[in-house]
Amino acid sequence: MAVATVKATFDVYRFEPGKDATPRYDRYVLDLPPHTPVLTALLKIRAEVDPSLSLRYSCRSAICGSCAMQINSKSRLACQAPIGPELARDGRIVIEPMRNQPVLRDLVVDQDGFWQNYRKVEPHLILDPRLPMPEGRENPMTPEEVDRFKETPRCIACAACYSACPAVEADPAFPGPMALAKLYRFVVDPRDRGQQDRLVRIQTEGLWLCLRCHLCTEACPKDVRPSERIRDLKELAIAAQGATEYGSRHAVAFKENIRARGVLNEMKLARQTMGTLGMVGQIPQGIRMWRKKPEFLRAPHAIEGEGEVEKIYEALDDHKTPEDLP
Amino acid sequence: MLKHEVVVVGAGLAGQRAALAAVEAGRDVAVFSKLHPLRSHSGAAQGGINAAVGKEDSVDTHIYDTVKGADYLGDQDAIEFFCQDAGPTVVEMEHFGTIFNRAADGSLARRPFGGAGFPRTIYAADRTGLALLQALWERLGTEEFTLYEEWDLTSLIVREGAVQGIVAFDRRKGDFAAVAAKAVVMATGPFGRVYGRTTNAHSCTGDGVAAAYAAGATLKDMEFVQFHPTALVESGILITEGARGEGGILKNALGERFMAKYAPHVLDLASRDVVSRSIVTEVLEGRGYPGGYVHLELMHLGKEKIESRLQEICDVARNFAGIDPVTQPIPIFPAQHYMMGGISTDIHGATSVRGLFAAGEAACVSIHGANRLGGNSLLETLVFGKQAGIAAASYATSAATPSLKEGDLDAATAPLRAWSSRTDGEDPATLRTEMQRVMDRYVGIYRNEADLLEGVRQIREVKKRFARIRVADQSKIYNVNLSDALEVGHMLQLAEVIVVGAYARTESRGAHARIDYPQRDDAHWMKHTLASKGPDGPQLSYSPVAYTRWEPKERVY
Repeated sequence: MAVATVKATFDVYRFEPGKDATPRYDRYVLDLPPHTPVLTALLKIRAEVDPSLSLRYSCRSAICGSCAMQINSKSRLACQAPIGPELARDGRIVIEPMRNQPVLRDLVVDQDGFWQNYRKVEPHLILDPRLPMPEGRENPMTPEEVDRFKETPRCIACAACYSACPAVEADPAFPGPMALAKLYRFVVDPRDRGQQDRLVRIQTEGLWLCLRCHLCTEACPKDVRPSERIRDLKELAIAAQGATEYGSRHAVAFKENIRARGVLNEMKLARQTMGTLGMVGQIPQGIRMWRKKPEFLRAPHAIEGEGEVEKIYEALDDHKTPEDLP
Repeated sequence: MLKHEVVVVGAGLAGQRAALAAVEAGRDVAVFSKLHPLRSHSGAAQGGINAAVGKEDSVDTHIYDTVKGADYLGDQDAIEFFCQDAGPTVVEMEHFGTIFNRAADGSLARRPFGGAGFPRTIYAADRTGLALLQALWERLGTEEFTLYEEWDLTSLIVREGAVQGIVAFDRRKGDFAAVAAKAVVMATGPFGRVYGRTTNAHSCTGDGVAAAYAAGATLKDMEFVQFHPTALVESGILITEGARGEGGILKNALGERFMAKYAPHVLDLASRDVVSRSIVTEVLEGRGYPGGYVHLELMHLGKEKIESRLQEICDVARNFAGIDPVTQPIPIFPAQHYMMGGISTDIHGATSVRGLFAAGEAACVSIHGANRLGGNSLLETLVFGKQAGIAAASYATSAATPSLKEGDLDAATAPLRAWSSRTDGEDPATLRTEMQRVMDRYVGIYRNEADLLEGVRQIREVKKRFARIRVADQSKIYNVNLSDALEVGHMLQLAEVIVVGAYARTESRGAHARIDYPQRDDAHWMKHTLASKGPDGPQLSYSPVAYTRWEPKERVY
């Protein structure tokens, strides 16, 4: 059975730090069926054209997490990305190493930082000797308790989310989407005895640095939805400790602020987030803002249909997450 | 020079479990792995792990099913030990944090699997291997040991019959290093990549098995190669047996549920060798789809069940075959899946070389005999990984200081360094493709004397060509070309042992199906094949199978 092929152009990032002055892009053109995964194409290039192309790969079935890379500027698993749609959209396929991790060579990146961030969230069950595991039998766990893990057990640590994350790029204190999704997995585990400590600690160790851009969820090849689990962690952290950080105070203040008038009172928001003392440090900024936009100091008028806002809040309070809303 | 008391090679479930046991015994442990541990092929195991923990089930039934599944070639004393340890092993993994599926009463959920008398397979959706790998890595991560991540094993150093250490290659730096060790545990997993059509990952190249063989260790039952019945036609990617456990059925191009002919009692859930041969027979007799395959149907299970219990399979079928299993049948054909053979060990992982231990798919205890049951391999990695770790730690406690000499590293790596200095010669990928073609063509599901002879001849031809292999990539950093060459060299050794063993065994048993000898021949062949490296290839000898309570019977499903 003959399968129609397409002419596929690959521009592949090549770089060996210390040896090459700058990265270059090598072009390879192959005839391939459109459903060919990018990984298969790269292995064909290695086998038939250039054996010096360096990349990580193993399972070729999206379960080992080795072959994440930038494919036409998106962080994806090469084994899971067929060439057809890429060619149809962009006309060629640009292959680059993942972002937010230093390049070792070509498509191989140094993942030490990624793994260090993963270890920061103490990714193991925290036990309490006063509450021992049941002798000789499993801990009982209901199917509903298993459902609380959501999709986090599917994570294959491919680092596609880490590569896609602007907060990782901006702030070394942010542990990254994968580490936080992993933290969520332990926080909801009924066998774990460290939930409270974990939630308190993460409030000051990066939880509120997430930018809520959801690029991690878009990049994740296993539908782990890290940004949604980060949101869950934020709610759980506030429930566990209250709003103690700029980030959590800001979130709570924002919510109450809107609830009050249906529109944001920025002065109040800043004061509730930073406290009156914290506001003192913001005076120079305030003066600059006042020059440009003096009306920001005035309390906003209530919006029309203010009562509707309260109804929305009541509906949200009854339901844990927006997904649960009818 | 690097130095550790216990060196574990391979960081899948068996290697990690061995490392944990050796660390707990107080030894200085190093783990060498060519992949980050969480990228190990153990994580690809889908269906589940067997343990007879249900009230209606019994350890004896698990033993019997395993003995029968093995076509009576498994050592029954080892199988008894194995099945008795199943319950505690699964409970331990639950305590380590594995997220298993649960029944309504909160106990571990179980699903039916091929060749098993009861629903005995405990599972985590259809990613049980990943669930176990995560939990064990998280548990091991709380202990002190040294991880050598992304190092290839090149050879094992044995002097006067005892292990002295290993030689390994640091992929990131591009350096070879000798590592002194009192005890070495080989847990490098399978070598399915000797075949082209395989469910195995690209990394499954048997480095530890080949290094052990080259250093004098005995291999066992290498001709027994399991072909998984249901792999995607084009890519060989696995569709778990759990798909049939959940009610999936096989149909030929005439729409017939053909397993009714071959296994009237258990139908699609017969043992893997039986189902694989049935599919091949259907296709050979003209009842397959054009191109040579059959269908696995899940549609009747309904969208909800398919998407909740077989989520990975949904993704696999959609991503890699463009098939939606909710509305379409999945085209499947058997592919190499599991190696029953490996480094010959006892139940403590001890091999024929002092200080060398092995566990998991790299080892042959033997509990799987001529055919492994689904759900038994994850269990094997943990049960015998632990035993090997305990035994290696115990051996290291009293073993003499290893004697590595100055010249050991040079001697071991001189031939490998020559690959890179050649200006002509063949690329590893060429020889790998050639080896895989030979194994697919001549050493597949149905075998016969003429094919196997041709297979031996051609594999030896490729081995000769390997002497002139060339590594063209001249870079030191992450030189995959050099790693490829190491792997092809290892696999060629093992391919030869498989085909020589298959040629010699003139009977059909379990996964070894000889068209010219279609019957099981207990009078002559109720014995293990042992292979050790001789000057002109493998030297075969045979050893008896251990029997306790189960007399061989005809195997009917």
